[in-house]
Amino acid sequence: MIPTPEISWLAILPELLLALGAAAVLLVDVQWKPEAITLGGLSSLALLLAGGATVVQWAHAQDALGLGNSADLIEFSGMVTVDGFAVFGRFALLAVTAIGILAGWRYLDGLGRRSAEALALVLLSTTGFSIMVASNNLIMLFLGLEVGSLALYVLAGLTAERGRADEAAIKYFLLGSFASAIFVYGAALLYAGTGELEILAIRGFFAGNILASPTVVLIGLALVLVGLAFKVSAAPFHSWAPDVYQGAPAGLVGYMAAMAKIAGFAAIARVFLRGVPELDWSWLPVAAGISALSMVVGPVLALVQDDVRRMLAYSGVAHAGFIMTGVVGGGTPGVLFYVAVYAVQLVGAFAVVAVVSGPSNSASPLADYKGLSNRSPGMAAAFTVLLLGMAGLPLTSGFIAKFRVFSDAWAAGFGWLVVLAVVTSVVAFVFYLRIIVTMYMDQGEGAVSVNLPARWVLAISAAVTILWGVFPAMLLDLARDAFPL
Amino acid sequence: MLTALILVPVLAAILLALIPSRRSELHLPLGIALSMVPLALALYVFWLFEPVAGFQMTEQAMWYEPWGIGWNLGIDGISMPLVVLTALLVPIALGASTSVTIRRKEFVVFALLLEAAMIGVFCALDLFLFFIFFEAVLVPMYFIIGIWGSERRVYAALKFFIFTALGSALLLVAIIALAVTHADQFGVPSFALGDLIGLDLPTGTERWLFAGFAVAFAIKVPLVPLHTWLPDAHTEAPTAGSILLAGVLLKLGTYGLLRFNLSLFPQTSVDAVWIMGILAVLGIVYGAAVAIVQPDLKRLVAYSSVSHLGFIVLGTFALTSGSLQGAVIQNVNHGLTTGALFLLVGMIYERRHTKQIAEFGGLQRVMPIYAGFFLFMAFASIGLPGLNGFIGEFLVLVGSFTTLPVLSVIAATGVILAAIYLLWAYQRVFTGEPSTEENRVLRDLSTREIALLAPLAALVLVIGLYPGILLEKIAPSTESLLDQIEASTGYTVPEPGRLADVIVSGGDE
Repeated sequence: MIPTPEISWLAILPELLLALGAAAVLLVDVQWKPEAITLGGLSSLALLLAGGATVVQWAHAQDALGLGNSADLIEFSGMVTVDGFAVFGRFALLAVTAIGILAGWRYLDGLGRRSAEALALVLLSTTGFSIMVASNNLIMLFLGLEVGSLALYVLAGLTAERGRADEAAIKYFLLGSFASAIFVYGAALLYAGTGELEILAIRGFFAGNILASPTVVLIGLALVLVGLAFKVSAAPFHSWAPDVYQGAPAGLVGYMAAMAKIAGFAAIARVFLRGVPELDWSWLPVAAGISALSMVVGPVLALVQDDVRRMLAYSGVAHAGFIMTGVVGGGTPGVLFYVAVYAVQLVGAFAVVAVVSGPSNSASPLADYKGLSNRSPGMAAAFTVLLLGMAGLPLTSGFIAKFRVFSDAWAAGFGWLVVLAVVTSVVAFVFYLRIIVTMYMDQGEGAVSVNLPARWVLAISAAVTILWGVFPAMLLDLARDAFPL
Repeated sequence: MLTALILVPVLAAILLALIPSRRSELHLPLGIALSMVPLALALYVFWLFEPVAGFQMTEQAMWYEPWGIGWNLGIDGISMPLVVLTALLVPIALGASTSVTIRRKEFVVFALLLEAAMIGVFCALDLFLFFIFFEAVLVPMYFIIGIWGSERRVYAALKFFIFTALGSALLLVAIIALAVTHADQFGVPSFALGDLIGLDLPTGTERWLFAGFAVAFAIKVPLVPLHTWLPDAHTEAPTAGSILLAGVLLKLGTYGLLRFNLSLFPQTSVDAVWIMGILAVLGIVYGAAVAIVQPDLKRLVAYSSVSHLGFIVLGTFALTSGSLQGAVIQNVNHGLTTGALFLLVGMIYERRHTKQIAEFGGLQRVMPIYAGFFLFMAFASIGLPGLNGFIGEFLVLVGSFTTLPVLSVIAATGVILAAIYLLWAYQRVFTGEPSTEENRVLRDLSTREIALLAPLAALVLVIGLYPGILLEKIAPSTESLLDQIEASTGYTVPEPGRLADVIVSGGDE
């Protein structure tokens, strides 16, 4: 008799629930053709259950950590490890999905019969990325990345307005697939060089062996880094971001960008900081270079944009650079804290874009925001908080996040990177302030009505931006154990 | 106590934010009334304040233990006068804002938030907390200039924001570096000022960090050549903005130099005396010279600030008892006199909607009270004996002469130049026959306007006649700062630079 390995269902329970939720949404839609709100409720239920499962996992991870025994962590045949890092990443993904659905509700609702498809795709992409943050194996990482990304490609094109969205979807798909291919080739080379696919085993390999000729491994690492840098839109692999951010449905762009950032940085942190710290002489300078380039390219190009979506896209490039300083600094809690707070701000900011420019309109010129402080004071105030948070002003979560990653990078001896980062942060102030100036200091016509779900998104995202800025301990304590084991 | 001083304006701002915008007649009076509470608290603090060295009324609470950041507050003789000054200037600035007609609610809310942040800066004894307040000041001020300013307000607001933000970016790096060094040396990171003073820094590191702090504060002061944001910001800001900008915001720079550069990096401070002194004197002479040729009254006062603040920086780095006391008391003096001058310029601007000196003439015939206040404040600013400016500048110059004789001689020309630009401006605006029909029908000051100016004028006179009321509270702190510098470096203040020298030699004779 062939012994069947013991399967720890708990390790993948959140993903199972999400995938089941996606299937349920599609099936219910076929059978009963309910209103979109019912499907939305069903999706929320799936998210809630997945969240509950993650809480259970968190309790387990805490116990294992408390006992100082990482062998007690729940695993899935070496493929998935539910450590503090994975749990934090999952919490972030689920929360972002929840507010992402709220932010995009007007768009999802307006899709009519296709809202079921869109909701199912949202849940599926969350499933994929959720696997990705927990995967301890390069194959698993690739699977999660592809499941998540493929769903996003479709979402990018799933809109009533064709031209721009098609362009965005095709561009995203082609370049994204290319990046995935690069990643998987890099993983293959790593396997060729070490004979291992498990990230921990790769680490063990390098701890015990010194390669006479590490060329293959180094090329593999470089390709993996390029593939993941593309996903998080770090320069010089960012050129897709502005077009996709502009063309994809506004209601969901925030969600799409946030998910890719969270999962991408989780993967970078796990592969590089956990898997190959022994080789940091090779990849650390490259990561620092990517970080520096992103911090320069993002803010500078954002300065010359006249479209808020493109500004936010380039600001995303800048943020990729800032988060990368945390990777260079070797502090995974800082990296995850940063992506989490940034993801929330991003979803909130795009909720504003969706309200101001319409849920599926692909242009969002700055002129649309003129006098927003009179036309919709609450939204203007919330957007201001979010922008100040992205700019990293004190008393916002963005400041704590920046402070954290910069401290890590400084302590790791990358002082030049920190100086560059703070200077480019100031450059970034200019275009954030430009939006605020337009809202508060220009005159504009026409009242703006904010739909109820968007109000909630704005209230939540602005509130946590300030709350985590004033009482950072709430999230930082949670992130403290967020390092991969 | 100090926490209350910071939180009361915040609560007041929240309360006002809850009043609907359409009741716009309520916001300003209520804002003024509420800003009297921090003023009362600040006066109580002044009364409680003991003339001894060290920090008083300290409060400590851990904010985030793993990072070593805490809600550490406390004041000493260097910060206490500035806290009181802030609490005094905010109600006056609000009282001067009746001409603000659009978005009154937001205006008052931003002013109160600004007050909280400014008081926080002066009370913070934790560098993280200090930085938070230091940056938090920017946002309300940015809005105050940008929304309620004059024509080029958006440009001026952005310039103000970017200049100061660039400075604080470097400050942030330096603060991070200090905390990381503390973690290296003591195992745990800490941002508490008291902990960081004890750090053992290599000379090279200390110089870099000194530079990081000094650039941030030099932009705020502002020291030439980092001053270009100031004339624009001042000229475009509404009256209340100018009062608070000149009265308090610039003091963040001079205060920062006194509080942090001298105590955290004593050796570099001693080494950098000449560099900072030259920059200060450059500012004194350049600011005054440029002020002379300004055609715009507000710009003239703005450049006079560059000049006056130079005295404070010179006093700070001359490192004698007299110069340090002069620097601290000059912080207050400049806030009172320049605040009053901006208030006066604002009053005439509300009447004539111009600030061009050439547009005016012969105003003392039609506005005698106004002219009287203007001349009084101009004399205070020039440093006429008997008024407060004399005390500050005299102490700075006498104190600096011990250590930097050449520079203090050059700096003294700033006093003469001040007489030129202020009196010449007075002559053109006030003397002679009223030049135009518009000037002939101007109203003199109303009771409200006199009520705003009177407390400032009274304090100018009180400090001028009896400076001891402040100096006895300032001196112990500046003395202990000098003790600390002498103890941690090889530097000794040359005789008769210390207070003790003066007293002892006085006893001998």
